Amino acid sequence: MRRLVSDLPRLAFIAAMLAGSALITATSLASLDDENLSAFVMEKLPVRFEAAWFLALKVHLVAAAFSLPACVLLLTKALQRRLTVHRWLGRVTGGVVLLALVPSGAVLSLEATGGLPSTLGFLVSGGLIAFFMTRGILAARRHHVQAHRRATWHVLAQMSVAVSSRVLLIAFEAAGLEHEPAYIAALWGPVVCSALAVEVLSRWTLTERTPREVRPAVTRPALAVAFARAGR
Amino acid sequence: MKAAEARVTEAVVKPLTTFEENRSRFSRARLPPKERRVRVTQGTPSIDASGRAFFPFAIDAKWGAGWQANTVVGCAYVDGAVLVKRGDDHRPAESLLGKNVKPVAGACVESKDSLAAVVK
Repeated sequence: MRRLVSDLPRLAFIAAMLAGSALITATSLASLDDENLSAFVMEKLPVRFEAAWFLALKVHLVAAAFSLPACVLLLTKALQRRLTVHRWLGRVTGGVVLLALVPSGAVLSLEATGGLPSTLGFLVSGGLIAFFMTRGILAARRHHVQAHRRATWHVLAQMSVAVSSRVLLIAFEAAGLEHEPAYIAALWGPVVCSALAVEVLSRWTLTERTPREVRPAVTRPALAVAFARAGR
Repeated sequence: MKAAEARVTEAVVKPLTTFEENRSRFSRARLPPKERRVRVTQGTPSIDASGRAFFPFAIDAKWGAGWQANTVVGCAYVDGAVLVKRGDDHRPAESLLGKNVKPVAGACVESKDSLAAVVK
């Protein structure tokens, strides 16, 4: 019972992200149709380099529909116990994020509602995802479990902005805020807060759970051995 | 003029409201406005290059407390066609409902010949 209570925030976060991802995917499917354009697409049109923008949108939607739930699943204990599955799903997800999600998001950010502040917000978020995904991959290859965990938390935290910013945007607009300021605040708030939350959480868990002397290096030898056994 | 206003309401405002009611709110797209109003911006019709008469119109929308002018602009032809502007082009009103329709060349642009005739 105590374990269930202590796991409750994590489980609630996983459930919220999976539900949010499913909702975003369902909503975004309309944007893949060339004949019936979604409200989001119509709001953007006309855009410069329309063909490139449409291609980036489609790549981004498909990549996001896969990578957000994949990142959530990779952080579940059930999948972390199955190291081979975790490793391969992590590789595929890392590839999709670095080669498809982040570059296409950067292209879309150039036409973001709200102009430069929104473009910068999306670029910062995408930059954090790319930076920490790369660090996460390198840490996994070196069997630095804590560093891998911290980096992947940052990746998921920035991906969660997709859900939290939409929720905030609905709340702000329902409260009567102007669309553009609401859009910018609903983007930057979650980007900054998610990054800070991971920093606070990772420092707290390191201090609480990890003996000081093993903190910077391989913190879970057994897991590291299992990593090695599963093969590179 | 009243007929043009009624035509725009029927062809644009009502279908657009229904379209927006059916779309998901969990999107980055702006929430639909609470209210829209149609303004026909000219008392007399203009004539385009093909000789068809049209009234330019604008639709204002209300999200919060104030009205935002010209959220949609276009023209209503006396023969019934309604076109809306996207970028530099005018397209059939269905384009606001997500239909990827092609622009109509020369539509909603007052012909220089008709202007000259008025001046003479």
